[in-house]
Amino acid sequence: MNKTLRISFALRNTYRVNSILYALKQIPLVKRLLPDTLYQVRGLKVFANVLSVLWEIISAFLGKLVYLAVMVFGAGMLYTTAPREQVFLHLLVLLTILGAFVNTFMFNPSKDKYYAMILMRMDAKDYTLVNYGYAILKVLAGFLPFCILLGTAAGVPLWICLLIPFFVAGLKMTVAAFSLWDYEKHGTIRNENGLDRLVWAAVAILLALAYGLPAFGIVLPVPVCVGFMALCILSGAASVRRILAFGRYRELYQQVLAGSVNQMDAAKQRSLEASQKFISADAGITSRKKGFEYLNDLFIKRHKKILWKASQSVAIVCVVLIIAVLTAFQFLPEFKEKTNELLMVFLPYFVFIMYAINRGTGFTRALFMNCDHSLLTYPFYKQPKMVLKLFGIRLREIIKINLLPAAVIGAGLALLLWASGGTDNPVNYAVLFISIICMSIFFSVHYLMIYYLLQPYNAATEMKNATYQIVLTATYLVCFYMMRLRMPTLVFGLLTIIFCVLYCVVACILVYRLAPKTFRLRN
Amino acid sequence: MNVVIEHLSKRFGEKPVLRDVGFTFESGKIYGLLGRNGAGKTTLFNCLNRDINADGGSFYLEEGGVRRAVQAGDIGYVLSTPAVPEFLTGREFLKFFLDINPPQEPKSIDGYFDDMRIAPDDRDKLLKDYSHGMKNKMQMLVNIIAEPNILLLDEPLTSLDVVVAEEMKQLLRTLKNGRITIFSTHLLDLALDLCDEIVLLNHGVLEQVDKSNLDSREFKEKILAALQEDSHE
Repeated sequence: MNKTLRISFALRNTYRVNSILYALKQIPLVKRLLPDTLYQVRGLKVFANVLSVLWEIISAFLGKLVYLAVMVFGAGMLYTTAPREQVFLHLLVLLTILGAFVNTFMFNPSKDKYYAMILMRMDAKDYTLVNYGYAILKVLAGFLPFCILLGTAAGVPLWICLLIPFFVAGLKMTVAAFSLWDYEKHGTIRNENGLDRLVWAAVAILLALAYGLPAFGIVLPVPVCVGFMALCILSGAASVRRILAFGRYRELYQQVLAGSVNQMDAAKQRSLEASQKFISADAGITSRKKGFEYLNDLFIKRHKKILWKASQSVAIVCVVLIIAVLTAFQFLPEFKEKTNELLMVFLPYFVFIMYAINRGTGFTRALFMNCDHSLLTYPFYKQPKMVLKLFGIRLREIIKINLLPAAVIGAGLALLLWASGGTDNPVNYAVLFISIICMSIFFSVHYLMIYYLLQPYNAATEMKNATYQIVLTATYLVCFYMMRLRMPTLVFGLLTIIFCVLYCVVACILVYRLAPKTFRLRN
Repeated sequence: MNVVIEHLSKRFGEKPVLRDVGFTFESGKIYGLLGRNGAGKTTLFNCLNRDINADGGSFYLEEGGVRRAVQAGDIGYVLSTPAVPEFLTGREFLKFFLDINPPQEPKSIDGYFDDMRIAPDDRDKLLKDYSHGMKNKMQMLVNIIAEPNILLLDEPLTSLDVVVAEEMKQLLRTLKNGRITIFSTHLLDLALDLCDEIVLLNHGVLEQVDKSNLDSREFKEKILAALQEDSHE
């Protein structure tokens, strides 16, 4: 037992340490500092080991803290319809039932289990019992302090708080023991990564009961909760025997893991297949164009669902929203005034909105997965003039796709400004409309440019470029920050227009200079 | 026409994969490129195809004493895992390819399909629904239409069924005139069967194995000995 514990820890730790080192090697600049032999360097290993142990401790406690603080304690504070301690227990009991089925640990087909039991041929029973025992201990240790802290803060008596961790563990073990029994009797195998519809329906119902009932002032009475908890603790204790006595762990895991092993091998395959699903099989799709226009035309037509449909839906939603606001103007004069004020300072907010509705990343991903990853292996496709020709065509298409919702929003904002009382300076109308259009074009150019300059995927369609990720994150952060900026619409709008035009010019120059060299498969 | 490689080198981090590759490939011949796992066969191809930049050295085409750089259009590259644009049908892919690369003596699209023995039913199916062997045929087909001066084949027959593999071998033999065909493989027998010359890539260097006066068993032993010898260095 002791040996199993040691080995399984060492195993899990090793691959966690290696994952940390691998992640470090992906960061630009840092990767230049690290040697190629980094997996041998002792100092780095020690550093990663420290991180790994810290992570083990944090994950044991932090997860539970966040769960209790947000899902139980925090959510409970929203209800004023029932006493707080009752809401706390109500939520806790129902969510624990849900968790006992969805998060069993025992039936989670994780990689470490596959490595240990299948690849390394460790004794399945020893391995499972040791690791399951450890997981249950982590549940007890992780829940205990926060149950006391948050439970008493919600007004739950201390003795009930002390019961909670044992209740959670007891229910988990009961479910595990039941599942083992079910396997012995009927051969049914649980796999928590492949939950069926019935379980999802049960999850939805439990969630509805947990968060819905308190809104109507209905909560489980405290004695019922406590009784159920006590019952679970008892049945949990009884379940220990069955879990210890179960002798067929090896064959059970062979089947639990079989599916997931294929998943691991086929992970790339699946990501490809997932994107190939978007290809329309409509035999009526044809094109009369030639050359790259022909290629592009068919691409757009066969990917209409993920390219145009989304942008059309956004446009429709925007039309509905604008009509709703216009209608509201008729009935609420105050709202009208407020909107008018907001429209004059709120333009920066729309940077984030335009960011959020832009189809750029979806477009470039589909381009790569279903088109470029294969065609880039053909020399003719990489000839500079071909790369640039196709870039031009694609830029036109992505701008077109994003322009539809942008035009609706731009025109809608100008309309709302007029309908909410207008403005002294008619230039504002034009600035609103044009700046929104510019933002849309900016994002289109931006995404296509970084795709052409940083082409982040390798032939196996894995993302291999940390710089690309960093640029995407930076884009998000800048847009997010814009939401907090307040600036007169006229000033911000004009600045936006100038910035976007300059950016697009620079971006296109960069692509024309560099893309023939950068637009290729990564190794 | 010759392809001349001079002092080509490439290292990944601190590990040299190609050390000092120098070789002259002559047109009209099929070269079998043999090497052990990880010897750098694919790296060599990727350098020639300019998918990766070499660290040093050069390669060029030499015709009638005139040297010129190898252009993208000179090379056809058939990968072991065929890559075809999944959202097109076989016919559409071919039409697109012919639009971009109009051949000297054009044929009808169905004519090309007939040459490759791709059944009429399959011609208007999306490429994503093609089998591995059919994708391979499509890839080979467009590479042939482009009439490249240099045809690089990276383990192209390994995963094909025996019938298709035999068809492909025949096809390669008929195509070899007027171009340089370099065929990388792990399979010694396949290399001996198909190729005119055997070239070993070992420890980052290319060397030709001389067949003179040897029967096929002796030749085989010589190749194996050369590959094994180096691994003990």
